[in-house]
Amino acid sequence: MSVMSESDLIISIRDVSKSFPGVKALDKVSIDVRRGTVHGIVGENGAGKSTLMKILSGVYQKDSGTIVFDGQTIEHTTALESMHRGLAIIYQELNLVSTMSVGENVFLGRFKEMKGMRGTHAKARELLDSIGCKVSTGKLVSEISVSTKQMVEIAKALSFKSKLIIMDEPSSSLTAEEMAQLVKIIHQLRSQGISIIYISHKLDEIFEFCDTVTVMRDGHVIDTMPTSEVTRNDMITKMVGRTIENEYPPRPAKVGGTLMEVRGINTRKLKDISFKLREGEILGLVGLVGAGRTEIVRAIFGADKAKGHEVLLGGKKALIRNPRDAKRAGLGLIPEDRKLQGLVLTFSVESNISMASMDRFSRFGFIRRSLERGIGERQVKALSVKTPSVKVPVVNLSGGNQQKCIVGRWLEIAPKIFIMDEPTKGIDVGAKYEIYLLMKRIAEDGGAIILISSELPEVLNMSNRVLTIFEGRLTGEFDPATTPVDTIMASALGMPGVSA
Amino acid sequence: MDRTTRSSALFGILTRQKALPFIIIMLVGMLFTKTGFYTPYNLLDMLNSSSILLILSFGVTLTIIAGGCDLSIGGILVVSGVLSIKLQSVMPMWPAIFCAIVFGVVVGFVNGFLVVHQRTEAFIITLGMGLLLTGVAQQLTDAHPLPSSNPDFMMIGNGYLLGVPNLVIITIVCFIIFAWLMRYTQFGRNLYAIGGDYEVARYSGINVIRTKWLAFVISGGTAALAGFLLSSKLNTGSAIYGDLTALVVNCGVVVGGTSFAGGIGGIPQSALGLLAFGMLDNVMNMLNITSYYQILLKGTVIVAIIWLDCFAQKRKRELV
Amino acid sequence: MSPAEKTGALKSAAGFLRSYLLIVLIAVLVVLTAIVEPKFLSGQNMINIMRQFGPLIMVALGMTFVIIGGFIDLSVAGIINLVAVVTISLIQVLGQVPALIVGMALGAACGALNSVVILSSGALTQAEALFMTFGMSTVYSAFALLYSHGSTMHFWDIDKSKSVFEAIGAGKVGPVSVSFLIFLFFLALLWIFQANTTEGRSIRLTGGNKTAAELAGIRIRRSIVVIYTICGFMAGVGAIVLFSRITTAAPVIGANFETNAILSVVVGGTTLKGGKGSVLRTVTGVLLIILMSNCLNLLGVSSYLQVVAKGAILVFAIWLDNRKQA
Repeated sequence: MSVMSESDLIISIRDVSKSFPGVKALDKVSIDVRRGTVHGIVGENGAGKSTLMKILSGVYQKDSGTIVFDGQTIEHTTALESMHRGLAIIYQELNLVSTMSVGENVFLGRFKEMKGMRGTHAKARELLDSIGCKVSTGKLVSEISVSTKQMVEIAKALSFKSKLIIMDEPSSSLTAEEMAQLVKIIHQLRSQGISIIYISHKLDEIFEFCDTVTVMRDGHVIDTMPTSEVTRNDMITKMVGRTIENEYPPRPAKVGGTLMEVRGINTRKLKDISFKLREGEILGLVGLVGAGRTEIVRAIFGADKAKGHEVLLGGKKALIRNPRDAKRAGLGLIPEDRKLQGLVLTFSVESNISMASMDRFSRFGFIRRSLERGIGERQVKALSVKTPSVKVPVVNLSGGNQQKCIVGRWLEIAPKIFIMDEPTKGIDVGAKYEIYLLMKRIAEDGGAIILISSELPEVLNMSNRVLTIFEGRLTGEFDPATTPVDTIMASALGMPGVSA
Repeated sequence: MDRTTRSSALFGILTRQKALPFIIIMLVGMLFTKTGFYTPYNLLDMLNSSSILLILSFGVTLTIIAGGCDLSIGGILVVSGVLSIKLQSVMPMWPAIFCAIVFGVVVGFVNGFLVVHQRTEAFIITLGMGLLLTGVAQQLTDAHPLPSSNPDFMMIGNGYLLGVPNLVIITIVCFIIFAWLMRYTQFGRNLYAIGGDYEVARYSGINVIRTKWLAFVISGGTAALAGFLLSSKLNTGSAIYGDLTALVVNCGVVVGGTSFAGGIGGIPQSALGLLAFGMLDNVMNMLNITSYYQILLKGTVIVAIIWLDCFAQKRKRELV
Repeated sequence: MSPAEKTGALKSAAGFLRSYLLIVLIAVLVVLTAIVEPKFLSGQNMINIMRQFGPLIMVALGMTFVIIGGFIDLSVAGIINLVAVVTISLIQVLGQVPALIVGMALGAACGALNSVVILSSGALTQAEALFMTFGMSTVYSAFALLYSHGSTMHFWDIDKSKSVFEAIGAGKVGPVSVSFLIFLFFLALLWIFQANTTEGRSIRLTGGNKTAAELAGIRIRRSIVVIYTICGFMAGVGAIVLFSRITTAAPVIGANFETNAILSVVVGGTTLKGGKGSVLRTVTGVLLIILMSNCLNLLGVSSYLQVVAKGAILVFAIWLDNRKQA
């Protein structure tokens, strides 16, 4: 590492450790961030990134080590104190009150300081203008997009005259355009001398605009290096601690005849969506967040009330008015939001797995517990779900294992068509690979999968075929194995003249 | 805030407001009847008879906006009403009234402790507290009405100032204070933040516990104020008034457009909600509707307004 | 024991105390009262206590399902008013068994109507259901008033045989009162339904997470109809037991039943958040309330102060239980 004087550093983290019962979350972590740089931190889930952030923001207290921020040693701190000190954190779950206006959110809890409503809105306007955000300060936060919310968060950070802004996976729900806007702001902030710690698991972003990158794994700092001196493969190896030859398994090989045909889905958002799904294939839906990907599968599954469309299964019209009909017709859905739409968090692993197949372990409406236990244990074993027992509440499991429970729920009734909406969101690399293998197995067993994912490489590498969606319309159909990524992206961005 | 955002905010309030269309329907409908509805006397009378519920609703609105609710107000209402009369046998009138209000504040403090500090469920805790207080009122009165013998006491709730009933004036003063509190003070804005998102409010350095706790204390205090005013108006304290009051007031606040989920709504909305109830009573009396049908109509109106509101939200949800 | 082990043991003891808090409270209550007032353990008093398993427990059993399903029902007071006045008047007109059947069916129908109103509006939250059923309660009470013209009807007004209702109200099989047997019957029925049927499971899942349950193909709308119908039906049963016992039916006899039923359910440990709970818990909750009022009676405490004590114990128990979850 190059020689640095203390005053060069905006923050210096030295040998910080933190333990929770049973886990050493951070083990002598040391990171230095120089003033006016963008410093990336990468690592799998569970690497300790979030714990470190929570220590910096004062949610947790460190067990040992020192933190020097802007020349001052920080011992105990609270969220508010660190903000006033000039250290702002923009969390993944944005810290805004959705029922209040943009302006009031920027100065939340500082109404008096701003001398009332008028002052609040005027100052907020100034700050938002300074980062080129045009949103009206009177608008409710519930009515603005995710990217605008991030702008509001950044304005809030600036209102505290922050010297260091930590962004925790800010891109996880941004579209490409919004991401571009964020990158612009990041550059602008850097040019103003504000330092940024950028936490992400998307390596592309790290390479795009981070000056330095720190790789973390299992609570340790593995390495810190200038981004220009490291390759993508090196970084992945450092993150997972092993060489992953392939991030993705090979695509399912045998694609058969048409399994399902969808004709004419029309809603307020969707315009005339029609497509076919073939036996043994993985069909990817590519589009920006909000393009209507989720809405398409929800309409097919009967979760949203869409009218006038037809779903043909094996050539015969299927009447799907609600998810129950869909289930009976042989469809399964892994919903977008695991915790809100997928799991009953306080219930056991077993009940979560068995909830779609109740008729398989009951007779005359009476539950037969031994059969239910069998179902739970069979799926836990088949999917190697890591859980002490099937009776444990599913909330205690890690993200990947929770997702496996939902997969297992549907595998039990062996649907022909599996709809997976963001199946690997918030899951670490190892568990992702297992889910990919599962998808491949389902397809090769004669099923078919509709895959939605915000991670473009995932869709492109897993799918036999992709459909691009832009503003509620299908804009193209591609074979990702042979089509350049730019062509697919252009189609998903609604650029004319490139659709197939 | 510029003019357009201000007017769109106003429009938003009107469309979210379920009670206002209902009030307008009644006002227009009464134009076509030959009752004395549109006399100043009747309109003042209507306000006068709604005053107690209105005052109660102001305090409750604070707790609901903060993401809680207060179902103990019925109990506080009756106990403070009884206390304000009963204590007059051992002390002068004003100290007695003061003690009655302090009692409400103390109950509110306990509610706040249990709900906010101890993180229990507001609905069930305040329901239990209401039951407890009903018992206290019964014990104090031996479950009989307790008349007051002090004409001065009676005058507070039945007197006039410049031709306007005292209760109406007190209600308007309370309205202004509470509306100002919620709109223009840090305390009020913080309550909105707490109800909108408790954790975010906490992270933003708002003293969430103290602020929300204070909402319960204020709700207890206003309920006690309403209790003493009711006793003064009727010149009697009794344990029976509290039975359904808490539910009616909370229901009126929600009908007015303050969301039970917290963070949305306000004092003007609550006032409209309770006023709609009061006006319905008045209109039904004007139209000589018999009391059982009045109850039927009132129930139907409550169901209808809440049904319509839920239905509108459902339509919005299903618009995909 | 090392200090760590000691605190561990203390912690587990505290954990045990918390999870069986109600049983412990009940035991303490029984022992204390038995010491102060030996009459407490007499056979006569046991029969007394058994007799207390009356209308409230019936209503509370039904309410348990609504709360497990993540909703709430304030309309039971109105349903009780209506079922009581209709049933008692029908004894004269139809005879007692048809009247009994009509009464229970009316309760179930009112409950089903609640669910129809709730489902048709698309209400999803407990708060929406709370105020909607409050309005429905007012409507049912108004119908009860209109039907009875506000007057109270007595058993002695009825010329025909009313032996069945007299048996429900005061009859005994050996030392056991008929109403206690009715309670046991419904408890067994509802317990089996709740714990062993797919519908019972669907109700719990609906209460646990409506969206997830629906997306997994569970018929949540049917579950909502079922919970309200059960609640209405049990309120009807409660109404019949209630007026049979007091041999009169006024259109206001259901007052405060909704509050008491909800409190009994929650004190038993069924959480308002939905998804968790059991009719057995409700029984322990009601048992606590009954034993307490029995103790207070024996100790000669006035009935008003009993209400105070009841409220205080309820608040205390809910507070303790809530802390456990935090």
